[in-house]
Amino acid sequence: MSPETITFTLNGQPARLEIEPDTPLLWVLRDELAMNGTKFGCGRGLCGACTVHLEGSPIRSCSLPISAVAGKAVTTIEGLSSAGDHPLQKAWVAENAPQCGYCQSGQIMSAAALLAARPNPTDADINAYMSGNICRCGTYPRIRKAIKRAAAEMAAAAVATWEPGQDADAAEVLS
Amino acid sequence: MTLSRRQFIRNASVAGGALTIGFSLSGCSEQQLPKQNAADFQPDSYLRVTPDGQVIAQIFKAEMGQGVLTGILSVLAEELEMEPASMRYEMAPPHPAFGDPEMIMQVTGGSNSIRLYYDTLRTVGATAREMLITAAVQQTGTPASELYAEAGRVRSRDSRVDLGYGELVATANTLAVPENPPLKQAADFKVIGRQNDRLDAQAKVDGTAVFGSDAPVENALVAVVLRCPHAEGSCGGWDASEAQQLPGVEDIFQIDGGIAVVARNYWRARKAAEAVSTNWQTGEAPLQSSEDIDVAFAAALEGDEFEVVREDGELPAEAGARTLSVEYNAPFVAHATMEPQTATAQPMADGGIEVWVGNQAPDVAQAYAAKGFGVGRDQAIIHNTFLGGGFGRRAAADNVYEVAQIVARVQQPVKLVWSREDDMRHDFYRPVMKARLRASLAESGDVESYTHQIVAPSINQKIMPHFLNAAMPAWVPHGVKSAIGNMQADTDHASVEGVADTSYQFPHFLVQYTNLQTVMPLGYWRSVGHSQNAFVIESFVDEMAHAAGRDPVEFRRAHLPENSRHRVVLDKVAAMANWEQPAAGRYLGVAVHESFYSVVAEVAEVSMEDGRPKLEKVYCAIDCGIAVNPDIVRAQMESGIIFGLTAALKGKITVKDGAVEQSNFHDYQMLRMSETPEIEVAIIDSQAAPTGVGEPGTPPAAPALANALFAATGKRQRDLPLQLA
Ligand code: FES
Ligand code: FES
Repeated sequence: MSPETITFTLNGQPARLEIEPDTPLLWVLRDELAMNGTKFGCGRGLCGACTVHLEGSPIRSCSLPISAVAGKAVTTIEGLSSAGDHPLQKAWVAENAPQCGYCQSGQIMSAAALLAARPNPTDADINAYMSGNICRCGTYPRIRKAIKRAAAEMAAAAVATWEPGQDADAAEVLS
Repeated sequence: MTLSRRQFIRNASVAGGALTIGFSLSGCSEQQLPKQNAADFQPDSYLRVTPDGQVIAQIFKAEMGQGVLTGILSVLAEELEMEPASMRYEMAPPHPAFGDPEMIMQVTGGSNSIRLYYDTLRTVGATAREMLITAAVQQTGTPASELYAEAGRVRSRDSRVDLGYGELVATANTLAVPENPPLKQAADFKVIGRQNDRLDAQAKVDGTAVFGSDAPVENALVAVVLRCPHAEGSCGGWDASEAQQLPGVEDIFQIDGGIAVVARNYWRARKAAEAVSTNWQTGEAPLQSSEDIDVAFAAALEGDEFEVVREDGELPAEAGARTLSVEYNAPFVAHATMEPQTATAQPMADGGIEVWVGNQAPDVAQAYAAKGFGVGRDQAIIHNTFLGGGFGRRAAADNVYEVAQIVARVQQPVKLVWSREDDMRHDFYRPVMKARLRASLAESGDVESYTHQIVAPSINQKIMPHFLNAAMPAWVPHGVKSAIGNMQADTDHASVEGVADTSYQFPHFLVQYTNLQTVMPLGYWRSVGHSQNAFVIESFVDEMAHAAGRDPVEFRRAHLPENSRHRVVLDKVAAMANWEQPAAGRYLGVAVHESFYSVVAEVAEVSMEDGRPKLEKVYCAIDCGIAVNPDIVRAQMESGIIFGLTAALKGKITVKDGAVEQSNFHDYQMLRMSETPEIEVAIIDSQAAPTGVGEPGTPPAAPALANALFAATGKRQRDLPLQLA
């Protein structure tokens, strides 16, 4: 397989490289771009350690060839927030969620996608969304709590930034 | 720092109840870690203060999730009178100064870090604090009685003196080390017992934490290794002519232990490895399949080759009112650390090698780096990174040996990455075990006689040569090292721990053990022998209680010493779980077990849904002495319980022709969030010295669940893994 030029957007910045198109995104990130926050756990879509966002949706980067990323936007743990202070990251710290830490980039990226889809998730939502992410250290109870804490913080922040007229705009868009 | 100073620190750890081994295999344990900068104030290897005021601790134990980094900083900070979060830290290199007084080598294991080093670290912190105060006396002329340490500064009561520690470094460096620095009273603790926040959390949520394959090495090639799938097998030839032609491939060559494939990135290396044809041969060792192992172990259980490990009292002449005789089984299980084994290495300009790896025994790693690269140990630098899970797996340094050999050949930086399949199939497994339990009960239901026979392969016999290669001076021939490993086998405490040393009191109590070795490599798996032995003894005690028609909590209490910590945690967990009156439709099972000097009781609560049991909740009470970081203790109980439940419900490695049949998380499954019960933890209030935390949560989990399943279904399960259907 011969290399091709692939361009995509990585954490808001243009990325461009010569690479065999079958190479999974995970190894492009880690070995070609030295973006080491995304982890390798199984290589087969079974553990979630390699979770990143593609166009905002969570995907397992170990199983996605870079050819499928061409022209699209990828967000990794490094790009989730500018200073490691996304409400989920703060909640993870507040709940002492990480242990060895190895699974946590993937956990947080999955949780971020969950909250984007369901800002106020139930326990069942959290279980359903997060059960693709293995944590060998058994931090699940704290991840659950941290997701709820972050959801509450984000809801409070949304109320605080609400301005009159917003709802009417939204209603117009919907109608 | 003088030798006597070093000795003093050693003695301080004896005061903590630790066993100090009075010799060192390396012969130089009295050394101190050299100063990086002459201007620094470094009262001991564990700590230094820079002139610009940074207080930097050496993290001399492996941080693998258990929270030891926070623990070390907390204990030092307490006596140093500063916020732990304001300290800095470095991962310590392998150095004789950090040799574990119980395990000789610089090992992180046995849940002993805080237990062994609590007094030592307090003394180190107090020594530095007192010397900095004395320095302030000299610099300001203010009497010591007017000075105190606070928030990383030395201040006077009249506020005229207010000096940062950095401003006192030059003077402190000229002072003699005090022999008996006063330690703080527990009532004055600001950090110990209060510091809950993990100090490594931020790096672990923003992706910056460095693990073995994240080393800051430019232009590293990536290596994968093909290893013989048959334990103790060999390579009968290989052909890489096709693989060599694939894109991105740099080199393919044989090393001791496999065939290394080096390429530009992991994917190219993996693709090329798949194109290498190999001719692996099975070895000669006996017991290469799970079926054969089971047959041989059953025969051993019937045989009379047992060694008596412990016998109290005498076998009653007549059987009691009730007798029981049953058999328990536990399979091999894998560590399956979330991070597969990795390591990064590069050659150094001076001819040495530099390795980045997360390892529980960095001096073993150093020895293997030196051996693989072909240099002396003093030319092998180990940077211990964070560990992506350890659980005992990362006490071995097979990955370091591989990467060092690869770098020796390619003479460039290399990242070695094991696949999940590599990791699953080339682990050092928790041993398979078969046990026969017999009991005789009096009319009252009290135990008259208890016999526990164990057939299991010795862990030490298998793994000791791997460590001894590192710990022994290089001139000791390999045969001698193997012989030491064999000697260990006859008294392998790991096979009988949790049974031979139980606190249960039975008038006649007999423990017997037979070592029956299989082809499989063995290692230390979180809580080691306790993990399967607690399942057996605590399930069987439950069986005895039911046979006697007695309440399982009351029955345990009756056979445990009065005033024991066991009774305290049992009573606590029973209260938490509402043992006397469980909620309608809820079934409870209890287990209590001492390991690593801590005692933990757990209750599993099960419901029935459509005729199937469902694990709803686990209650846990632990007595671990002083809890330095209470929330980390709670987190470790949660972690240990989930680890124990995962093995109890899913863990089973099987072998055929010496090859592991499982490969990845689809056929060796982990507990998922949706299957994880709610967990509630209580820590018993204690002023006793700290005891183990990383492992003791694991042993009671399997038997508590098995006993709850019996309560819910009436069916006793004696084979791991347990079935929920
Ligand atoms: S590494 Fe991608 S899902 Fe496990
Ligand atoms: S924190 Fe270790 S695997 Fe999740």
